[in-house]
Amino acid sequence: MTSRVFVALRVKAAPDRAFAVFTGEIGAWWRPNGLFQTTPRDPGRLAFEPGEGGRLVETLADGKVFEIGRVLVWDPPERLVFSWRQANFPPDLLTEVEVRFEAVGEETRVSVEHRGFDRVPADSAARHGFPDAALLARLGDWWRVLLASLAGRI
Amino acid sequence: MADWRPSLISAVCYRDPKAALTFLEAAFGFELVMLIEDGEGNLVHSEMRFGDAAIMIGSEWSADHKSPASIGGKNTQTVHIKIGSDVDAHCERARSAGFEILMEPETQFYGDRTYRARDPEGHIWTVGQPVQAVSREDAEAVSGLKITGWI
Repeated sequence: MTSRVFVALRVKAAPDRAFAVFTGEIGAWWRPNGLFQTTPRDPGRLAFEPGEGGRLVETLADGKVFEIGRVLVWDPPERLVFSWRQANFPPDLLTEVEVRFEAVGEETRVSVEHRGFDRVPADSAARHGFPDAALLARLGDWWRVLLASLAGRI
Repeated sequence: MADWRPSLISAVCYRDPKAALTFLEAAFGFELVMLIEDGEGNLVHSEMRFGDAAIMIGSEWSADHKSPASIGGKNTQTVHIKIGSDVDAHCERARSAGFEILMEPETQFYGDRTYRARDPEGHIWTVGQPVQAVSREDAEAVSGLKITGWI
C-alpha cells in the first residue's frame, strides 16, 4: 500500500480545455509552497514536455533546469500521470501524481491523486519532522490551493 | 488556503469511512473533494461537497468519537439535507443505495416535503424540499405551536 492524497475540484470548462491549461499553462497557475520545495533555490517556472516520457521541469532564475518528474501517462483529455520528486528526496524515491479530467455536465471535475509521499523518510528535510497525517494533510491543502489556482486560470 | 468551505461543517464518524464515501455518493450525490489515506490505506481525513455545503467523513478516531454502529444505533446529532427538487426521487435513490427509509416523503405543516433515512452504519439523515410557502400564522394554527423567528 501507499499513501494517497486525493483532491478534486470542478472547473467551468470542457475536459480538453482543462487538460490543456493544466499541462500547457502550468507555469502560470502553479503556486510554490515552502513546505514542498522542489529545489533549495527560489522557485522557478514549471513546464511539461508533452507526451509520454516528456519531462516536468522547473527552470530557475539562473537558467538551470531541475527535472521534477516524467510523464508516465499522457492521455488527453482524460488522464495524466507523472512522477514527482524534490531535490531533497533520497535519490531512489519517486512519488506519483495522477490527474483525471471527468466531464460533469458542462463542467469538468479535475481530480489529483498524489501517491507515495509517506515514503519520504522520517529523517528527511522534506518531511519537516511531520508525522504522516500532518504531512499528507498539508500536501492535500497545497493541492487544493493549486487546483483553485488552475480553476482561476480556466 | 483557497477555501470555498462554508462556516459550519458536520464531521460524521464511521467504523468504515471509506465505505461511507461510496454509499453517501450513491445515495445523495455527495462529491468527494478531499481524501487522505496513510500508507496502510487508512482514511486520515476526507471531505465531500454537496451544493455549497461540505461534510467531513471520518473514522472513530478517538474513544469519544463513535459511529452509531458502535453505540447501539444511537444518534447524538443528525444532518439535514435541503434540496431544490424531486424529493421523492431522492428518497428512491437513497433506498436503492441501501438506506433504510424510516419515514417516507411527506409534506409537513411548515411547507417542506421531507423523508428520513438510516444509512448502513445507523446515522439518520433527514432530507427536505420546500414545496409550499406557509405563513407563520397558518403554521401556528395548524400545529398549535408558538413559533418565533419565522422567515
